[in-house]
Amino acid sequence: MSENMGLAPPKNPPIRLTLEIVNTGFKQRVNELSGQNMDACYQCGNCSSGCPLAQEMDILPNRVIRLVQLGQNDDIINSETIWICASCFQCTVRCPKGIDIQAVMDALRQIAMDEGIDHFGPDQIDPELAASVPQPGLVGVYRKLAT
Amino acid sequence: MAKIAYYPGCALNERSSHLDRSARDATVRLGFELDELDTWTCCGAVPPVSEERVMNLVAPSRILKDVRDSGRDILITICDFCYNTLKRTNFIIKSDEITRKRVNAFLADDTPERDYLEKDDSLWEDYAGEVNVIHLMEYLRDELGYEKITESLKRSLKGLKIAPYYGCVMLRPQNEIQLDNPENPSIIEDFITALDAKPVKYPYRTECCGSYLSVSSPDASTRLCYRILTSARNSGADAVVVSCPLCFYNLDSRQKAITEAYSDFKPVPIFYFTQLLSVALGVEYGRQGFEKHYVDVTPVLDKIGISTGKGGEE
Repeated sequence: MSENMGLAPPKNPPIRLTLEIVNTGFKQRVNELSGQNMDACYQCGNCSSGCPLAQEMDILPNRVIRLVQLGQNDDIINSETIWICASCFQCTVRCPKGIDIQAVMDALRQIAMDEGIDHFGPDQIDPELAASVPQPGLVGVYRKLAT
Repeated sequence: MAKIAYYPGCALNERSSHLDRSARDATVRLGFELDELDTWTCCGAVPPVSEERVMNLVAPSRILKDVRDSGRDILITICDFCYNTLKRTNFIIKSDEITRKRVNAFLADDTPERDYLEKDDSLWEDYAGEVNVIHLMEYLRDELGYEKITESLKRSLKGLKIAPYYGCVMLRPQNEIQLDNPENPSIIEDFITALDAKPVKYPYRTECCGSYLSVSSPDASTRLCYRILTSARNSGADAVVVSCPLCFYNLDSRQKAITEAYSDFKPVPIFYFTQLLSVALGVEYGRQGFEKHYVDVTPVLDKIGISTGKGGEE
């Protein structure tokens, strides 16, 4: 785990936000795939404080949403966060604005996969594990983390 | 004996067959039978990641349509993943007309003699979400009634302190599942009380155990399971009860890795709710598949006097 747990890596030089960068259509694509409104988020951080896996993430869930609002697709698609999310719906249940954050993570995974990034393949599985874990685990992992 | 349509799913059919068997043993003693569907396929384990992936809804919809076509309107599942997938698929089919039409177009392809677009006269009826998917525990609570279980008890589990573990997909997302309160549920607690045992309250009962991350990031799952089990143990639990095969795997088998990583860890036996139920209803403990557990359950059975004493049927 890095020292800056949950923080996006600092940019050097820092990014300058322009209308063109923010309006690349990334946010609209996430809205469309997830059925959620990204602009509803007001950064209360409830999703990140309740997330059981927050300590494993490089960008916290509320920051992911902020980056989506700002059109920073590269940061998100190359982050660990979208692949560490286990879709447990804790954030979805607790969001005071009713955003289904789990669906947002699903949408981001799909966008990453559409760009050719798979997180997990059959060659990465421990054979002993593959022989013993109940099938929902195997089917689930390939459906969520690989095209 | 009443027969109720039952979808076991892949895990219960093989790797978690002890969950399946203990459920069948228990329900027969409660006066109804789990009637396995004649044909079934994998439900897909997780609902599709976005609405664009309609194809992922076809398998669960086909299962549900088969149940409807056989004239039944209730389908029981036990695995939490199957429950979540089938119930959410049903919700989408019911509430989203465009998806319903697309899924039914795929389903119609299964019937090659019929041209879906031509609207011929054969008996085809779009699947529109008629089947009610229910969890076995939901059936016990709402249809049978927990008091019926208490009346049928053959063995008392008095003296046992049991920590319920809900996990994630059994309760959430709550607007589609509507089984219980997603943050402060009581369905398993009430079940434990009905068995004459004492439910233990602890803060991690609805926290995720890592789910399928057990395959892709095993260490993350180990840390989560350590937190859950230690919390349950510190609250005085003799054992943890679950209903999901993957929760069971993570909480039980992962204790090997937890013991290696944390020196202060003390193992906690894990039970499926159906195992406790069938033990309490007098099914012999040799039929429960306890040999499949990584953590020895004998200390718990000793406490209620059935492993050393009379193990046979009463």
